[in-house]
Amino acid sequence: MTDTASPELAMAGGGEPASTPRTRAARRWRIERRLQTPWYLEGGAIGGGILLAVLICAVLIAAAGSEVLASYQALYNGAFGTRNASIETLVQATPLIFTGLAATFAFRAKVWNIGAEGQLYAGAMGAFWASDLLTDAVPRFPLIVTVMLFAAVFGALWAGIAGLLRTQFGVNEIIATVMLNFVIINIVSFLLADWWQDPASFYYQTARMPDVVALPRIFESGRLHLGFIIALVMAVLVWFVLERTSFGYEVRSIGANPRVATYGGIQSRRIILATMLVSGAIAGLAGASELTGIHLRLQLDISDNLGFTGIIIALVARLRPAGVVVAAIVAGALTNGATTMQLTTGVPAALVDVLKGLALVLVLLAAVVVNYRLRRVKADG
Amino acid sequence: MGDYLTTAVALSVMVGAVRIATPLLLAAIGEMVTERSGILNLGIEGTLTFAAFISFVTVDRTDSLVLGVLFGALAGVLVSLVMAVLTVTFKVEQVVAGLALNLLGVGFSFYLLRAVFDDGGTDVPSVQSWNVVEIPGLSAIPWFGDVLFSQHWLTYVAFVAIPLTWLALNRTGFGLELRSVGDNPAAADLRGVNINRIQYLALAFGGLMAGLAGTFLSIFATGLFFPTIAAGRGWIALAIVIFGNWRLGRILVGAVFFGYLEAYQLTIQGQGTDVPQQLLLALPFVLTIVALVINRSRSNAPIHLGVPYLRGVR
Amino acid sequence: MTTEATTADADLDTALLGVHGVTTRFPGVVANDNVSLTIRRGTVHCLLGENGAGKSTLAETIYGVHSPDEGYLTLNGERLDFRSPRDAIAQGIGMVHQHFELVMPLATVENVALGTTGAGWLDLDRVRRRLEELCQAYEIDLDLDKPVGELPVGLQQWVEILKTMYLGVDLLILDEPTAALTPAGVERLFGSIRRMREDGLAVILISHKMHEVTGISDRVTVLRKGKVVDTVDTTSVDAAELTKMMVGRSVELSKVTDHPEPGNRVLAVNDVTAGSATERGSLRGVTFEVRSGEIYGIAGVSGNGQSALYDVLVGVRPADRGKVWIGSTDIAGLDPRAVSALGVGSVPADRINQALLMDFNIDENLALGRHRDKPFSLRGILQLKAFRSRAEVAVDEYEIATPSPTHITRVLSGGNLQKVVMARELDGEPDLIVVHQPTRGLDVSAADNVRRRLIDERDRGAAIVLMSEDLDEVLSLASTVGVMFEGRIIGEMDHTEVDLDRVGLLMAGVVDASDSSEVMV
Repeated sequence: MTDTASPELAMAGGGEPASTPRTRAARRWRIERRLQTPWYLEGGAIGGGILLAVLICAVLIAAAGSEVLASYQALYNGAFGTRNASIETLVQATPLIFTGLAATFAFRAKVWNIGAEGQLYAGAMGAFWASDLLTDAVPRFPLIVTVMLFAAVFGALWAGIAGLLRTQFGVNEIIATVMLNFVIINIVSFLLADWWQDPASFYYQTARMPDVVALPRIFESGRLHLGFIIALVMAVLVWFVLERTSFGYEVRSIGANPRVATYGGIQSRRIILATMLVSGAIAGLAGASELTGIHLRLQLDISDNLGFTGIIIALVARLRPAGVVVAAIVAGALTNGATTMQLTTGVPAALVDVLKGLALVLVLLAAVVVNYRLRRVKADG
Repeated sequence: MGDYLTTAVALSVMVGAVRIATPLLLAAIGEMVTERSGILNLGIEGTLTFAAFISFVTVDRTDSLVLGVLFGALAGVLVSLVMAVLTVTFKVEQVVAGLALNLLGVGFSFYLLRAVFDDGGTDVPSVQSWNVVEIPGLSAIPWFGDVLFSQHWLTYVAFVAIPLTWLALNRTGFGLELRSVGDNPAAADLRGVNINRIQYLALAFGGLMAGLAGTFLSIFATGLFFPTIAAGRGWIALAIVIFGNWRLGRILVGAVFFGYLEAYQLTIQGQGTDVPQQLLLALPFVLTIVALVINRSRSNAPIHLGVPYLRGVR
Repeated sequence: MTTEATTADADLDTALLGVHGVTTRFPGVVANDNVSLTIRRGTVHCLLGENGAGKSTLAETIYGVHSPDEGYLTLNGERLDFRSPRDAIAQGIGMVHQHFELVMPLATVENVALGTTGAGWLDLDRVRRRLEELCQAYEIDLDLDKPVGELPVGLQQWVEILKTMYLGVDLLILDEPTAALTPAGVERLFGSIRRMREDGLAVILISHKMHEVTGISDRVTVLRKGKVVDTVDTTSVDAAELTKMMVGRSVELSKVTDHPEPGNRVLAVNDVTAGSATERGSLRGVTFEVRSGEIYGIAGVSGNGQSALYDVLVGVRPADRGKVWIGSTDIAGLDPRAVSALGVGSVPADRINQALLMDFNIDENLALGRHRDKPFSLRGILQLKAFRSRAEVAVDEYEIATPSPTHITRVLSGGNLQKVVMARELDGEPDLIVVHQPTRGLDVSAADNVRRRLIDERDRGAAIVLMSEDLDEVLSLASTVGVMFEGRIIGEMDHTEVDLDRVGLLMAGVVDASDSSEVMV
């Protein structure tokens, strides 16, 4: 802090300035926030960010000694090259649509639910418990509906803990949801090692669930299941609730300016709690969808950071449900195509994680930059 | 005989607790300083992983453990400087930037690991690692000697870092400015403090400490690297800062306590007791939340934590 | 202003700081408009003006917080180019801010040391010794090692002052430093200001308390609406003249002369308190009534409880004690939505942070507060047609200049933003209308538009509470004028008996004109 005056120096000067004043004839540019960012700049920010991420990854591929174009070609082929590949891409996209929507809903109220990962496990737990409890008692269709409802309720309750901590005790929801992620994973881990462990297996997993709870497949071939349709319906529903209901209006108001919302008669604590519950419910559905659509066993690895990837998807999609669907399919394609890429060209599959991370960072940066413009401040003699 | 065994087990748990606590302590001290400057860095997990990887590769290529530590620490600083550019210069939401860095840190490490070591094999590569340094004389003290004075040199560094960090925060002009920036950046700004510079430096220090923590995981504790090597320790470090209510003494207690729980859990895992070890592992996180609720009226959390500072905007 | 420019050359030898044609703009507002003045060594120079006159902006520009859009500053004749307060501090300029800029968890000694030390070893003992001297000299009893946040407000103000005194400056800016001080504390402060003057320092004192201005200053610059009205020697004027310069006598704006006979009582506020008695801006027993067809104007300097009163009246904040009746309903326990449903329209002071969601579209903002009611919502589903048709009507009726009724609100100018708020709040013919600073930051025609609306509403039979720091506005519109000071209405008069001098004195806290001379000395 050499440029800060020490008191003695300023005093000793006795009216003389501590140093010669800096003079500069011409004035500078000033950065100003735009009143309104045109759509093409916002779109350009997303596109430009993703493009730049792809270019940086091209450098990484080349640095690892592989052909850039061939690698991206392999990535594309793995994701969309055949009908089955495309179907598998959608399989990968399904849970990401859910978790992306969960983050979108909460973030629209500026409620930072980072706990979709944990809420997903809570949902899977609920789904397994419901199926365990009711399989023999309830026919197939109502059973599937009940299992889904249980998952949503479990996800909502788990998120609701963080919601209550925020509204009742003022505990920051970011920290609370992160902590709760670890708590639920250990709870599931305990259940798998103990109460719910498959007696016939050495692994930490439950017994295989009966086929009646399995979500029906959409196509003859491939693993695409009803969960994908439910995810699409959820996207429409989330859009509808946010944009077309008075509840969604209040959620968006709190995100836009909580103080104005309060003066407008909106009870923010109630809405924040409700937002958490809805967000958790959607994340819970992701757990049920993965459990009953794919795994049919509760295992610790039913989620490979699906909750966190959902956050990225929501942000790249600029919190728009339709964008979430698109971004989730792209992310699913990357995950799906990565395996093919690794097998055919030897480029490590982990490249797609780098690509996702870079895309997020660059889209965020571009989004900040396009919100500002340079203005020349008038020079004056 | 039974008594002897129990004592031996208790001793090995304590020795393990201090060892396990080392990276937690390093990362938590760094994160605490970063947070005191008002920046919430959620990217510790990714920083740990990346630094662990860089130090691992360095040792593999140069056979120099010293360079391994150096480059690991620098890798941590590098990640945190990316965080600084995003959040301090461009005012990107800190939570989001931190999460992105986690993904990038882990993804980059995994990618480079495969790019550097991939020979089609599935076996995990390994390198040499630092040996335990027994402090002459002190390590001979019964019990304490084993627990406190027969550890890695980086463990001693972590413990020495506590009083040093305390002095830097509370007894230097820089520390005063740093704490002021986290509590009231507008006041500090009007007093001529360069906010961005303070936050860059605080992040760099946090990155340095997380880098050392990552180094500990790969070339001290194991000599291995695998993408899940951090195993949530970045998040635990974050929890310890909150659990410790942003106080160094309590952060030390928190780190050792969390280390103890894990060491104890590892021990009973091998012995097949009835204690549900997973619930034990969940305990730190539950306690962190409880600490948040209990401390809320006398929280030492920096008042301006997580809020980007823009001059003239409150 | 022209006289100032010529004298600026004449007193170069005593001039410390020169302000030359400084214009500072904020989005939608010109805070300082071609301001020129000279601050001389060894003088106390008052900046006098109503709220929003641009005093604080000018002071902050001198302190390097804002950089002027046009014009420049000189110190000892040399041109300055401050990029931040750091540059100002380096030039020996210190400032005590109107709002405390204290790091609350830190001790006094640390707050004072902040920014004055190097990065290295912190010698708090040296700071403490110097502070103890200062405290002794000014008879301040202060625990230097206690967190500032735990000190009473009066002492916090002293910490702020000590921070700058410690720096040892050539030019000291004090932005309303006496707000939290007791009369004895004010005297002590003035004593030390006089001593600084004797030491050759220049002091800029921002105030709107007349007795402070006349009691201590050598020269006064009066600002109004961002412009310099005049700079005079304090001895050459009296309080009444300054008041006239400050409020502007020329603005005999469309003074409403025909006041309809008021009807039934619509609002009764009875001995309402909110917040602690020591807190600035709290309510300490407000009592008044408003009848239908009446505009009850509340004059007063900001920070005397207007914001708290607004919050209580609209249901955002509960009263600690006392009652508020709207019609025949006691509003205790009602939230803003329920209060609004009683037939209350409200226009808050801060359009951007209280009234409008800037990132929402205009039609959405027009529904805020009634977004759950018909016709905007049916069984929880928003009726976009109703939004749109309401917006079309509002845009038409209120002549809101916008590309379309569904455009994003952020792009509107201040006057049009206020039209959106008025359109929303006056819809449905409310019985009671509460407005706070309704024309702040608006240009003349936009302000006139708002005032005409209020008169129309009054003629319709609405009861209106008009809180404004623009005295002209209150005097020209109000049927009854109440003056608010330190959380109370300390004087009330009918429009027929309004006397500008008396209102001005009441605003400065002088209840009885006979003791004004005493206060002003």
